[in-house]
Amino acid sequence: MASGKAGVPVSFDKIQKSFGPVRVLEELNLQVEPGEFLVLLGASGSGKTTALRILSGLETASAGRVLIGGRDVTDILPKYRDISMVFQSYALYPHKTVAENIGFPLKVRKVPQAEQEVQIRDAAAQVQLGELLHRYPRELSGGQRQRVALARAIIRRPSVFLMDEPLSNLDAKLRGHMRAELKHMQEKFGITTIYVTHDQIEAMTLARRVAILERGVLQQLATPAEIYNNPANLFVAQFIGSPPMNVVQGALDGKAFMSNGAAIATSVGGRIAKAVLGVRPEDCSVVAPAKGAIKGEIYATELIGDHTLVTLKAGNDMLTVKAAKDFTAKLGEKAGVAFSTDRLFVFDECNGLRVR
Amino acid sequence: MSEAPFKFEKANRGLMERLFEPPAVGRMSPVANVVAYFLLAVWSIFVLFPLYWVVITSFKDAAAVNQGPFYIPFVDFVPNLNAWRAQFTEDANCNLSSIGRQFGLLVYNAFAFIVSPVVTLQPMEPQICKIFLAFTNSIVVSAASTALCVAIGSMAAYALVRVQYKPKFGNIMMFVALTVLVIAATTYTRAPWWASSAVALALFFFLARALGKHFTRTLGNGDILFWIISQRILPPIVVIIPIYVMFQAVGLLDTHLALITVYAVANLPIVVWLMYDFFSSLPIELEESAQLDGATRFGIFWDIVLPLTRPGLAATTLLTLILSWNEYLFAVFLATAKVQTMPIMVAAKNAGEKGVFWWEMCAIIVVMIIPVIIMAVFLQRFIAKGVLLGAVKG
Amino acid sequence: MADVTNNSYQPGTSPAGASSGMSWGEWLDRHSRTFFITPAVTLILIFAIFPTFYSIVFALSRVRFTADGLQFRFVGLQNFAKQFFGNDQVHFLGKTEGIGVLGWVFFGAVTAAVLWWLYRSLRITSPVGMLGRLISAAMAIFIAWIMGASLLAGSTIGTLLTTLFYVFVGCALQFVIGTGLAFLCSQPIAGKNFFRVIFFIPLMVTPLGVGYAMKMVADITKGPFEPLLRGFGIENWVWSADPWAARFVMMICDSWQWIPFIFICMLAALENVPRDHVEAAQVDGASSVQIFREITWPQIVPVAVTVLLIRTIEAFKIVDLPNIMTGGGPGSSTESMTLHSLYIWRSNDIGTSAAVAYLLLILTVVVCASFFNYVVLGQLRKARA
Repeated sequence: MASGKAGVPVSFDKIQKSFGPVRVLEELNLQVEPGEFLVLLGASGSGKTTALRILSGLETASAGRVLIGGRDVTDILPKYRDISMVFQSYALYPHKTVAENIGFPLKVRKVPQAEQEVQIRDAAAQVQLGELLHRYPRELSGGQRQRVALARAIIRRPSVFLMDEPLSNLDAKLRGHMRAELKHMQEKFGITTIYVTHDQIEAMTLARRVAILERGVLQQLATPAEIYNNPANLFVAQFIGSPPMNVVQGALDGKAFMSNGAAIATSVGGRIAKAVLGVRPEDCSVVAPAKGAIKGEIYATELIGDHTLVTLKAGNDMLTVKAAKDFTAKLGEKAGVAFSTDRLFVFDECNGLRVR
Repeated sequence: MSEAPFKFEKANRGLMERLFEPPAVGRMSPVANVVAYFLLAVWSIFVLFPLYWVVITSFKDAAAVNQGPFYIPFVDFVPNLNAWRAQFTEDANCNLSSIGRQFGLLVYNAFAFIVSPVVTLQPMEPQICKIFLAFTNSIVVSAASTALCVAIGSMAAYALVRVQYKPKFGNIMMFVALTVLVIAATTYTRAPWWASSAVALALFFFLARALGKHFTRTLGNGDILFWIISQRILPPIVVIIPIYVMFQAVGLLDTHLALITVYAVANLPIVVWLMYDFFSSLPIELEESAQLDGATRFGIFWDIVLPLTRPGLAATTLLTLILSWNEYLFAVFLATAKVQTMPIMVAAKNAGEKGVFWWEMCAIIVVMIIPVIIMAVFLQRFIAKGVLLGAVKG
Repeated sequence: MADVTNNSYQPGTSPAGASSGMSWGEWLDRHSRTFFITPAVTLILIFAIFPTFYSIVFALSRVRFTADGLQFRFVGLQNFAKQFFGNDQVHFLGKTEGIGVLGWVFFGAVTAAVLWWLYRSLRITSPVGMLGRLISAAMAIFIAWIMGASLLAGSTIGTLLTTLFYVFVGCALQFVIGTGLAFLCSQPIAGKNFFRVIFFIPLMVTPLGVGYAMKMVADITKGPFEPLLRGFGIENWVWSADPWAARFVMMICDSWQWIPFIFICMLAALENVPRDHVEAAQVDGASSVQIFREITWPQIVPVAVTVLLIRTIEAFKIVDLPNIMTGGGPGSSTESMTLHSLYIWRSNDIGTSAAVAYLLLILTVVVCASFFNYVVLGQLRKARA
């Protein structure tokens, strides 16, 4: 591996942030391992961008500390933090050429001209931009602009990369491609990277660990697989997965989940008056009405390609099932849904926590 | 791969850095703070002091003005209301009811003017003190000219955004040639101006019909817009002498109508320029859907387009109002007695035989500038919201 | 009129295309494109274009008021010629005898630079563009000669150079200070909005009021600075008796009124620069001065030159301040060309007044068109490309 330096750890220590009366972050505690690719995932307004901006120094925390490489950087300027950032809009300077854009961090630090040129060419080569150094940003495609922003970030070899939804302005095909490149580059350099996104696919594919934020509170911090297979609460369970997890409301009564008069065996015990049963579409199957744990009728079928999504209406609940691609059924036909007991999740409806 | 050439790893800042570097993004360094506030304070004093001086002078009497500078009321001179009394209480017609009467009179005189080709009604003479006369004149002239200017200007601007015009270059040249002919005929052969203009206009329409189709070079909307805006380059002094003569020829010197029209034309380029920018930023879909619903062009303009540009329209109106209120050069020529506006009245005060009564003059200046300062504060709000920036971006 | 008013608007009842059956409203709508623009164009034709042409007749004639109106006698270019050669020459151009060494050097340098510029543009411009450049060049060389012969020879300057002084020195000063204030107000300071309002006000105060206010403030015996002048021991120094001091006072008072214009436009432009760009530079370690020089300023140059153009156009119209504060004095040293024309009009010499006004028009158009073509258009193209 060509990495010049090992990544540094980053941690948020009881970070709080409020804008006036609005609390955006409530006591965020987060440790990022050296060289880790961490994704901050959340809907808009969840506080993920604010957390990133506090780390970059563009925003000041109301309380708490930020540590980069064990060093308290809470009250120092961005330029002393040894970070670089890729913005959602790329923030390329329209009046500067690609080369000038990439070299700007060196220029403000008064690096000698000759050395600047070497480094600019080096950084441009890393992102396959060698040919375009004399163009202006407006003459580039979206993907190329993205690369320029990336080159400007890597030219300094910072301790930490910060990325604020860097792929959201690209079209779907290019996004997949750039995702792979980003991941490759991050592993090559081994620089600690914190990546903000609202796109769960990006989060799952890129991250070593994902931190899910909602309303300024960290919901779960775990590897993508762990988050998918073992969601900590109802929010995480519903946020991750496409199509989202099916939920059925009811009550947990001893060993079974009671809903609409049907008893569904679960692997957890306990008694909760208001509980929610969750099951992922791929863990369900459509069966004859008599065999199903839940009975309903076919509401819609959608052929996706390698599979068919079947939506069933059971009482007030809609259930989505991932079925084989040759599945056919008539609208309104009676059907049942079956699932394996060990793939069921039960949540307490009052606090959303997983019942284990 | 070599180590990066520099690192940003400075945790403890030295004294100089503490002084010259901001503590955080979005704040300023101590030194910058001191320098910035010092400069801003100096400039605020520079800006406010002349206004302050005018206001306090209006509360001085002859002695306080003539015996050298006094700065602070109640401290080094005793303020009094003599200057204000001289303006407002010495004349019996200086009350609110006379203002009301003046507006009634204006309506009557306007009516008399309109029906004058049919019935001759004697226009009434104003019964009002000088300062209120000038104030009402200023209000009437600037309000009416602003209304006219904004109405005409926004219509033209809207048309330039949405309709393609293709005036023929040959027709324009023909128009210019005929204009020159009319001017030559009226000045050197003593032909009556109305006759030669009518003949020329008829000739123009006839020739445009007859020859128009042979002209191929056309101009576009951009040219028309540039032509209208570029009228602002024209120094007023160039056109004011002929305009004076023109109004004299039709007997409209020293009337509200003359000032209203001339002010409206003077501000037309600004209105067209600003409104063009607002209209061109509107999405066309709303208008297209209204067109499919059967609305007329005027209906679309009135019901859909104007409400959408309300902030821009308000800002433009305010700006035009201020410019009209402040106008001086046209008024010097066109308003000799009855329609004196506030600036003319102030200037007339300067010509006293016993020297200038600065305290009285300051009182009138205060009356003159208070409305514009209030309007300026409102206009500043629009500018702060970025309403008027687009046009400057060109 | 009668048949028009009886014909109420009924959609769908009139056969399309048949003009005789078309209702009034429909006819109006069909010709709306004409009605929208006609009022504006007509007004401008009558009150701007027509007078501009009419003014030529005045400028080419000796005009007298008689009992039955104006009497014109054609005198050719005499009214113009006497500004350049005759007895009015000193008033308009200044004393131009005895051009010194400095004057020759300056004139030679400007001429050489202009000719070099013309030679270089030979390859890149069309015949029409070349004609425009020739006119700009001729005016530049002429003004350089006048400057060399009067200003640099230390003799009196005329209203032409006084006007150019107000325009160029005044605009430069206003631009620098206005932009500086805008930069200050774009920084994170408390009370920003307060300063914005305060700084904006002078622009909107009636220019005539500004004139009288400044006349009082600048008064050397009863004005507020009297103790200060006495403190410096110069209480006998009368600025209004010294031509250059009087011109500088005019220019400073004009700046008081117009700096807000530059300030407000530049502040809006500064705040319009995308926040991302500034933040990216902050993360990369740029200081606020570096950010202004490297990021913000290059992005607002198009706005800056446009604002400067507008300000230049308006600056040529300066009249109220010298008229009120000095009456053009001492002598005619603070007279702008507008005021020059106005004073001649007052002495009932309408033809000469119109000729001076026309010279101002030519000067304004050539200067502003040159600035627009060679500077503003280039910047706008660069920004849009």
